[in-house]
Amino acid sequence: MLKAIRMALDIESPAVRHNTQTFNSGRYEAVAVIPDYNALKDRARAIKEDAIARLPQLLAQVEASVKRNGGYFFLAKDGNEASRYITQVCREHEVRLLVKGKSMTSEEVHLNHHLEEAGIEVAETDLAEFILQIADEQPSHVVGPAIHYSRERITALFKRKFQTDSPLDTGEELTRFAREILRQKFLNADAGVSGANFVTADTGSIVLVESEGNIRLTSYVPPLHIAIAGIEKVLPSRRDLAIFLELLAPSSTGQGLTAYTSVFTPPLSAAPVLSDRPDAKREFHLVLIDNGRMRMREDAVLHEALYCIRCAACLNSCANFQTVGGHAFGGETYSGGIGGSWEAGTKDLLKARFNELCTGCTRCVNQCPVRIDIPWLNSNLRERINEIDAKASGGFLQKALSVEADDKATVPKLFFGRYDLFGKWGSRLAPLSNWMNELPGSRAMMERIAGVDQRRQLPPFAATTLVQAARKLSAPKATAHRGRIALFPDIFTNYGSPDRGIEAIEVLRAVGIDVVLTEVSADGRASLSQGLIQTAKKQAQKTSEILLKYIREGREIVVIEPSALAMFRLDNRHFLDRNTFEEIREHSFEAVEYLWRMLQERNLDASDFFPASNHPLGTRLFYHSHCQQKTISAAEPTEALLRAAGFDVVTSSVECCGMAGSFGYKKDYYELSMAVGGDLFAQVRAAETDGPRTLVATGISCQEQLHAGFKRKVFHPMELLKDFLTS
Amino acid sequence: MSSAVRTQHDLIARFEAAARSAAATVERVSATAGALASAVERIAQGRIAIAEPLDLPGELFTDLYRLPGIVTARSKAELAACDVGITDAFAAIARTGSVCVTIDHAYSGALSLLARLHIAVVAADTLVERPAEVFDPNRFGGKGLTRNFVFITGPSATADMGPLVRGVHGPHKLHVIILE
Repeated sequence: MLKAIRMALDIESPAVRHNTQTFNSGRYEAVAVIPDYNALKDRARAIKEDAIARLPQLLAQVEASVKRNGGYFFLAKDGNEASRYITQVCREHEVRLLVKGKSMTSEEVHLNHHLEEAGIEVAETDLAEFILQIADEQPSHVVGPAIHYSRERITALFKRKFQTDSPLDTGEELTRFAREILRQKFLNADAGVSGANFVTADTGSIVLVESEGNIRLTSYVPPLHIAIAGIEKVLPSRRDLAIFLELLAPSSTGQGLTAYTSVFTPPLSAAPVLSDRPDAKREFHLVLIDNGRMRMREDAVLHEALYCIRCAACLNSCANFQTVGGHAFGGETYSGGIGGSWEAGTKDLLKARFNELCTGCTRCVNQCPVRIDIPWLNSNLRERINEIDAKASGGFLQKALSVEADDKATVPKLFFGRYDLFGKWGSRLAPLSNWMNELPGSRAMMERIAGVDQRRQLPPFAATTLVQAARKLSAPKATAHRGRIALFPDIFTNYGSPDRGIEAIEVLRAVGIDVVLTEVSADGRASLSQGLIQTAKKQAQKTSEILLKYIREGREIVVIEPSALAMFRLDNRHFLDRNTFEEIREHSFEAVEYLWRMLQERNLDASDFFPASNHPLGTRLFYHSHCQQKTISAAEPTEALLRAAGFDVVTSSVECCGMAGSFGYKKDYYELSMAVGGDLFAQVRAAETDGPRTLVATGISCQEQLHAGFKRKVFHPMELLKDFLTS
Repeated sequence: MSSAVRTQHDLIARFEAAARSAAATVERVSATAGALASAVERIAQGRIAIAEPLDLPGELFTDLYRLPGIVTARSKAELAACDVGITDAFAAIARTGSVCVTIDHAYSGALSLLARLHIAVVAADTLVERPAEVFDPNRFGGKGLTRNFVFITGPSATADMGPLVRGVHGPHKLHVIILE
């Protein structure tokens, strides 16, 4: 894995970064002009849930429709069966040259290999696939298979492979060169193979989405057209396309529609064949492939992956994917956040190991047009792989740790997943534990045993936890008349960074909030991120009982660490009954969010409480919000409050800082983590060209990452606001 | 102006903006055979092939056949050698700047694909706001649910060779003529 990451960082990273980030920003713009975007996503989700539930029935319906239309239908149970069928059809038609449109399903079943063994020339006509065919490489992205190639690298490849003197130094020249070659292939091809973005059961229609025109040529010019797709591509009705076509291109390339979206019911019997043979007539075969999908459908977790419409929004919005692409963050065929489930489903669980690169930052969750909870799928894959790994290792330390664990996993997984235990003992034993952490050799030992990178400094354990420190606070001066809250001392704040908790309490009390602390309880985040799902579930349930007690006393729950709040607002839906989840979700707030809401509800002016011009550090800030904080819409309130107070705030626009909780501490991922951080660091530097800014971040690991980049203090917003109390 | 007319004008304006941002060119022409022929003559050069209109009245296209360079042969080689393909479209989408072209009528599939320049002719009253409306059984006489067609949005394009390039395997230029 480390080797693949390094290779990607060395060679492919700049092109992947540029292309995915262009798609990603285009997507944000394109979905912003869809007024009913969220309603469309709900409807798309409902249609897919229904379609997968009724899949056997729909497949029978597709078969009947295709045959009624005069086409042929074949349901292949695996890739070999599909390839054999297609090869046989080609043999019967004496196909010598076959043109092919981009199809990830054909990649999945290695169709080209089968056809070529039968002596058939296969011409990949999508320019990206054309590049990969020449280079003999695997796709690195489901929508743009060659996005890891820069223009310069394509030029070098073409010069080498074609030994040509043609000018190939611009995108236009390269495109013209490839077009000339492929135009001849189209005109001389005996058969065309395409994929299908959607298949509609009621009419037997297919949808082909593209921009180059090669898929139109593939499905129209040769007399024989074969479409190959996974069985999950079937939609009940052609009317359903109304929903999916409005979501696919915006989510994928950031366009309203791509240049060509073909909707037709093959064979195109009314369209004359472009052939000089008078007897030529059009023939169509639809080959749908199971290859593990029916098994996925029965899987309580993985069936959700079958809703995927392959838009790649989860790849493009993923900071890790943006930095390394699908060769490091991917399997044989499928890549990115959703790719692990597909590799596990269509191949083998252990082919999904790359899902480790999903940090659970959740930035993809709101981008998915069918609302797949991709981090949840990856946590589950991790749980299953953990079990296999634990069986294979099983040393003394692992056994000792497993006594208190409900999940089977290796030591590094248990270390990062059970910060609640390490934090509790670390704090009790501090400063001894911190002194040990500082001992020569201890970092090397932590790297070897727990997988903590030597170049990272784990946050020291607090000798006085938040709960202990809060007891020592003097009685609040202001009267508490503006709200009642219970502050949840999440384990990271309590054991690792109690100061920001104390500052939050002081600020909230100073503006007239009645603050108490709840009991300390692991919220489940750390365990969930390592795939310790049974542990996470128990923790979430125990925590929910604590929170409900306070909520029913009329208090709102206030949280410091955004990743803990994201459990309450998002992930706990997997662990709690619906009513409990909703009750806690409605009553939980990030600390600054709560403060901003109170000010707004009471028509109070933030600048009266926190007049920025009086701040000792000045008014210029750079604020970076935490990835999960953004997903649960808890970032805007901090920006709004700071601006209302009179600060000059520049915000980051990166999806994630790269630290992503524990991810950046791990030795295999340190370099990737710092490379992802590079985008954030560049934004800070750009914002500071006209003078320095105070760095502000809400998440504890984001603070660490910014500190690693700039070696200066990074403030929690509450720490900044607390300064007003003393002045 | 009545509100219906205002809405219609607004749709056309938004269609034009969206189509142009997808690198298509757009013009409005009055719905007569003569006006259409002169509009085409201004931009079409070389070998021109025309697909009989399926949804527009046939007489609107009659003057087109008098233009120089009209090709009527339909062999694969002749089609591939055309410079300009002309088809009608049964709908246009304001939000995306797309036109809906039938692909299995009178070589419309080939003529909208093989030539360097594709000219799509669409009636102003078939403009709708969003793609979903094409699949409404009560719009366009249900054509969107029965036709073999393609939403065309600008000329063919690729980002696979590094920068965005317009003009790949399909037309390098798309010109939309809105008949008012």
